[in-house]
Order: sequence, then C-alpha cells, then structure tokens
Amino acid sequence: MKILVVDDSVFSQKITCNLMKGLLTDTEFIVAGDGEEGLEKYKAIQPDYLFVDLLMPKIDGKELIRLVKEIDSTAKIIVISADVQKNVREELEKADILAFINKPLNEDKAKLISALIKGE
Amino acid sequence: MSEDSLRNDILKEIFNISVGKAAGLLSEIINRTIILTVPQVDVLNINEEIQLEDYLPKVTDGALMVSSISFHDILKGKANLIFPAHKMRTFINLCMNENNENDDTTFTDIDYDIIKEIGNIILNSIVGEVGNFLDIRLDYSLPEVKVFTQLNLKKNLENKEYPHILILYITFIIDETEIEGVILVNLTLNSLNELMKNLDRIEKKLYE
Repeated sequence: MKILVVDDSVFSQKITCNLMKGLLTDTEFIVAGDGEEGLEKYKAIQPDYLFVDLLMPKIDGKELIRLVKEIDSTAKIIVISADVQKNVREELEKADILAFINKPLNEDKAKLISALIKGE
Repeated sequence: MSEDSLRNDILKEIFNISVGKAAGLLSEIINRTIILTVPQVDVLNINEEIQLEDYLPKVTDGALMVSSISFHDILKGKANLIFPAHKMRTFINLCMNENNENDDTTFTDIDYDIIKEIGNIILNSIVGEVGNFLDIRLDYSLPEVKVFTQLNLKKNLENKEYPHILILYITFIIDETEIEGVILVNLTLNSLNELMKNLDRIEKKLYE
C-alpha cells in the first residue's frame, strides 16, 4: 500500500509517518512539502490514501482535495489539520473525505486512522 | 534539512497548531469562518543591532493594541499579541455582532473587556500549546491590554531582562477583511536555551 503525506512541515510529516509506520505494515510512505508537489506526486504514484494538511503554500489543502477529486472521485483522503473550526470541517466533509483529524497527531488518533484503513 | 531549519519548522508547526486552536475558539464567538494563512516565525536578539520596527510590518501605522500575559517557572517571559487598533475594532464589531462600518479607535470599557478576552484566548492557546509540546507546565499572569504608539511599544518591548524575542506573524481573514497581527514572545536567555534544548529533544525523537 502507498500513502502520500502532504504537509509543509517536515516535523508533521515525520510524526505522521513514524506513528503510522508502527500501525500499518507493508506500507510505503511518500511525502510532499506543499499542495503543488502533492498534486504532482499524486498523479505520478497514484497512492491508495492521501493524507493532507490544509494550510500550505502554493496550493492549499482544500484546493488540492478538489483537484485530486477531479482526477479520481473515489480518492481516499484523510485531512490532518490544525484548523479546528466546525465550519471548515463541515465544508470539507461535503467533499467526501474519509476523516478529518486535528493536529497534533498522536497515537490514539493514528490508531483511529489505522482502523479506518483496515476497515475495522 | 539543517538543524536550525528543522528547529524553526518544529516551532512553526507548534505555533500553527496553537493558532488553529485559537481561531477555532474565536470562530465560535463571532460565528464566522476564519481563514488562516501560513504563519512565519523569527527569533531575534535585541542585544544585536536590530531595528525591532523592521520586524513589525504593516502593524506600525497608528495606534497599536497590545494584549500581554507573563509566564514563569521553567520558561520565563512575556507574550504580547499586537494588532493595529483599527483592525481590533473590526474584531470587536464582529464579537458584538455589529455590522456597522465604524472604525473608531476610541475604546470603551466593554471594548477593552472583549480585547482582553480575545488576547487571552489567542495567547493562552499559543503559550499553552508550547507548554504541551515541550511537556512544561507554565503559570501565567492575568492578561493586560494597553494601547501604544509605535515608539512607545518599541521601548516597552526592548526589555533588557528578556533579550530574546520570538516573533510570530499571524493573519486572520474574516469576511474578506485581513487582520494582520504579530505575536512577540520576550524570553530570558535561560528560557531561550531551555526552549531550544526541548526542541532538540523533540527533533532527536523524530529520528529514533
């Protein structure tokens, strides 16, 4: 399985990959540092899951989700963001995302994502 | 990535998370979505020849509204939230659910109370999140609010007891109005060292 992690913070990229690696075996994690790079990598590798931050330079997370859904309406997207606003979450949930997780990602939240992916 | 830039990245992400939390709380108060921008962080030493006003872009015209809280224990310093007074008026109008275009910068006691609460929410989110990440318990003072001219603010911030300043630039966009602010955290040398030590510890853990 391939998971593309798009986040402009190297710190958050590492936290996400480190936590998820412990829960998902046989998974390759690929990272991108902004929405533009994220879109390019998405097209190139066609990951099974896309983890996306919202607040990013160049193309923000919301726009990236829109562009990815244009390419593949069934894309499996999990938002991992510091934005805790109810309106933002509701707006994104309409875009057919799998989950909206608030940063900081911790072990409990990573387990939730893992269970979602494993279909538990 | 170099050691310095990863430290800066960690610090920026901690601030990003805390500003996101603060925006969530403020959004509930004003019942509107707040659009955030990518925050920027700088670390300055006022003993070096720096012009503090150079680091306060776009918030230096007219009166400045400053909300502050002091904190102590392992980290000792003062966090200041700085917004141009006329932009603060926009926030107050939104909090009071007033749609008028009034940008009067004469503030009533009720206005000050609202500003104190907004400052309290934002600064507590930021200082609290830094404490959470670094696993440090911080005790804060009650928030205070003052109006400064640019010159007075500069003098006030250049506090010899706290020679190191962390600067965080934040922008909230509400109903297409940009509210650009700056958060300045004055720190003692020991506190800055402690902060850096803790950031190094976090960095090390990433590679374990």
